Amino acid sequence: MAETSMAPGFGRRAWMGGAAALAFGAGFGVPVMAQGARTLRVRFGSDISVLDPARIFQIENQSIAGHIYNGLVQYDQRTNEIVPDLATGHEVSADGTVWTFRLRPNVTWHKNYGAFTSDDVKFSFERVLDPATGSLYRGQLAGLKEVQTPDPLTVRLVLEAPNSGFLHKLCAFNQGWIVSRRAVTELGERYTMNPIGTGPFMFDRWTTGNEVRLVANTAYFGGAPALTDIIFRVVRDETAAAIALENRELDVFFALQSPDVIERLRRANGVTLLDRPANNTANLVLNTTAGPLADVRVRRAMIHALNRKALIDGFFRGTKFEATSVLTSTFQEFSDEGVPRYPYDPDRARALLREAGVSNFRFEITTVGLNPFDRFPVPLANDLQQVGIQATVRVLERGAYVQARSSGNLQSCITAVVGPPDPDSPLVTLYHTRSHPPGLNTSRYNRADDLLAEAARAPDLAGRRAVYNRLLRQTMEDVPVIPLYADRLFIAHGPNVQGFVQNSLFTVNASPVSLRGA
Amino acid sequence: MLFYLARCAAQLIVALVGIVTVAFFLMRAIPGDPALYMLGDFATAEALATLRARLGLDLPVWQQYGVFLLRAAQGDMGVSVVTGQPALAEIWAAVPPSATLAVAGMAIAICFGVPLGIIAAVRQGSVVDLAVMLLALGGISFPVFWLGLVAILTLSHALGLFPALGATSEPGFWKGLHHLALPALVLGLSVAAYIARLTRSAMLEILGQDFIRVARAMGVPERRIVWHLAFRNALIPVLAVIGVTFAWSLGNAILVEAVFSRPGLGSTILKAILSRDYQLVQAGVLVLAAAVVLLNTALDLIYGAIDPRLRRT
Repeated sequence: MAETSMAPGFGRRAWMGGAAALAFGAGFGVPVMAQGARTLRVRFGSDISVLDPARIFQIENQSIAGHIYNGLVQYDQRTNEIVPDLATGHEVSADGTVWTFRLRPNVTWHKNYGAFTSDDVKFSFERVLDPATGSLYRGQLAGLKEVQTPDPLTVRLVLEAPNSGFLHKLCAFNQGWIVSRRAVTELGERYTMNPIGTGPFMFDRWTTGNEVRLVANTAYFGGAPALTDIIFRVVRDETAAAIALENRELDVFFALQSPDVIERLRRANGVTLLDRPANNTANLVLNTTAGPLADVRVRRAMIHALNRKALIDGFFRGTKFEATSVLTSTFQEFSDEGVPRYPYDPDRARALLREAGVSNFRFEITTVGLNPFDRFPVPLANDLQQVGIQATVRVLERGAYVQARSSGNLQSCITAVVGPPDPDSPLVTLYHTRSHPPGLNTSRYNRADDLLAEAARAPDLAGRRAVYNRLLRQTMEDVPVIPLYADRLFIAHGPNVQGFVQNSLFTVNASPVSLRGA
Repeated sequence: MLFYLARCAAQLIVALVGIVTVAFFLMRAIPGDPALYMLGDFATAEALATLRARLGLDLPVWQQYGVFLLRAAQGDMGVSVVTGQPALAEIWAAVPPSATLAVAGMAIAICFGVPLGIIAAVRQGSVVDLAVMLLALGGISFPVFWLGLVAILTLSHALGLFPALGATSEPGFWKGLHHLALPALVLGLSVAAYIARLTRSAMLEILGQDFIRVARAMGVPERRIVWHLAFRNALIPVLAVIGVTFAWSLGNAILVEAVFSRPGLGSTILKAILSRDYQLVQAGVLVLAAAVVLLNTALDLIYGAIDPRLRRT
């Protein structure tokens, strides 16, 4: 339920009070930790909107959900290894199609919604698979044929075909978050903003456009959190958020992106700046069916023409990493051995264009009007112009951009696939034919399906890594997608925060945090 | 008077239906699709069709409009397609912070703008006049988001007088006021610049008229001339601009809201437009339009109270 907090109404007396406050502002002083020593205040860049795992999207929503829900398994925040969560262990049948999970006993749902059982797991997965739910993540569980519940603490998942990477789909993220059958059924439409989970924090309130408050779940199976509550405060402007962090009005600065602000906080007293590679790259996706772009020599010419190092060092001032493919080093399955590299080489680009017989090539980069995606394509277009490609940039507002991209008629567009460290997340999304528009395979690439199926059939991690490596080699030879940079996540926190672990999911999870001196 | 109020009510209904109709068709005319926004990266043709049907977007636009009008007449503005919450409730939740900021900003604007305008007019051509007009020029010229950032850097960060965040959920009147002070000051000073300039020119016009000259010749004290004769006559155009700027503050305080991280109507409607949340935009436009129309009606009544010649019958 949307609530709001407001300053009391203004009458004549309050006016005078306002004038007095302005005149004697110094008398108030800036409040420090006024909400109690065990409240953590985290900056969000924008407001939340959906907290139902079947329909959830956007990093702010996912960050809140990460505190509320659990999955059968979860990614270790530091290493991205898959570790137990609501399941204490699992076995896989010899043919790789039956996965049996033993569930943790004595786990209860928030707000007296009863005990967690295998029926909730069955309900959660079947709900995502039901077309009537309209879940964004139905495709993620596409190979799941049946969910059986032999007893309240055992759940058996039957797959259509073996898939050694199936555990990724069950991790505590999006479709992997388990919901309560009773809560979803009873709350109906209201469930979207009244989530019930089993996690370390419970949803307390959402103040539209302002803040979200979670309170500690003292009955949490992993032990009560050290914090009493977390307030996620919407602070859109990064400079204002940095000052609020330095003023101790905030404890954690999430979604820190501006190079200027990163530099400022690096030098600020008492502020700890954390960073780690993210799971995503930003990419220039080329439509391989559009005119000269159908020729691989043209696509290779373009990747040679782009000075991606200068983009990272100059535009982003070193706050991003170089990308060799659309997978980053954060994936356990990542290996870039033998993957072709394309150093900046305008002469080679010109030669390739000549070889392909391409001249007067008009090329348009379509991008979204959000920082930094609306600005960094400009130097890229300039690089392309240097080798004779008449490149221009078209910036569209987000709604119009999503629609234009889903039409599949763009020559090229900028796309970043933010998600869990599951290789299928970027690879299926960008290269599989089932992701052709309105999906994100706007390059209309069609040579990856077999390799992606082979990776699913591979018996273990080493086998999957080998197949994904072949796929990366092939896609970087064909260049339907130019990886521009690998993203790098920055988070800053104040001196009183301890135990903070930054993940690579592009979310913030403060569950293990405690406050110094509290 | 009753006839006048009935006419105002009729005008209000016509204006609201007109404005909401324009908003309805404009939202559907701009590129973008709520279903696509929500499904985004994982959209499939099948999922899009399911969601569009659920949201009623598969109906022809005129049919959607008919359903919308029928429901709106019963006070039902639908539910937000993103959050699933009633649209009107979500908009109402954003009204108090916006209204608080607008009222506080206007209070500051009037407190600074009117006296400065009067002083500048009374001392026309003096250093004081020049200084006031330079300040007003600055207030008009500097963008409000820039003024906001400067205020945060100086008054909050360097001097530590006010918090950088312009809102708090912590209880307490003084705490709320402390957080409100900086955004209200920035919004108020930018509006004060307009009011000061207008007050000055209105006062100069009145002070140059014959009846003021006669009053002076008759030995009426200067203080009485300025406050009772000139200021009261100059008040009508000043009130008009206060009315207009108040409506402006209510809807366009979005930049101040963004810089000071305050919730409000402006940012809620902007978020709704960006996510193509049709119901939320329609509810927001309805509330904003109603506020502006009601404000103008109230101002009409106030004109009558100040100037008997404009009194309605």
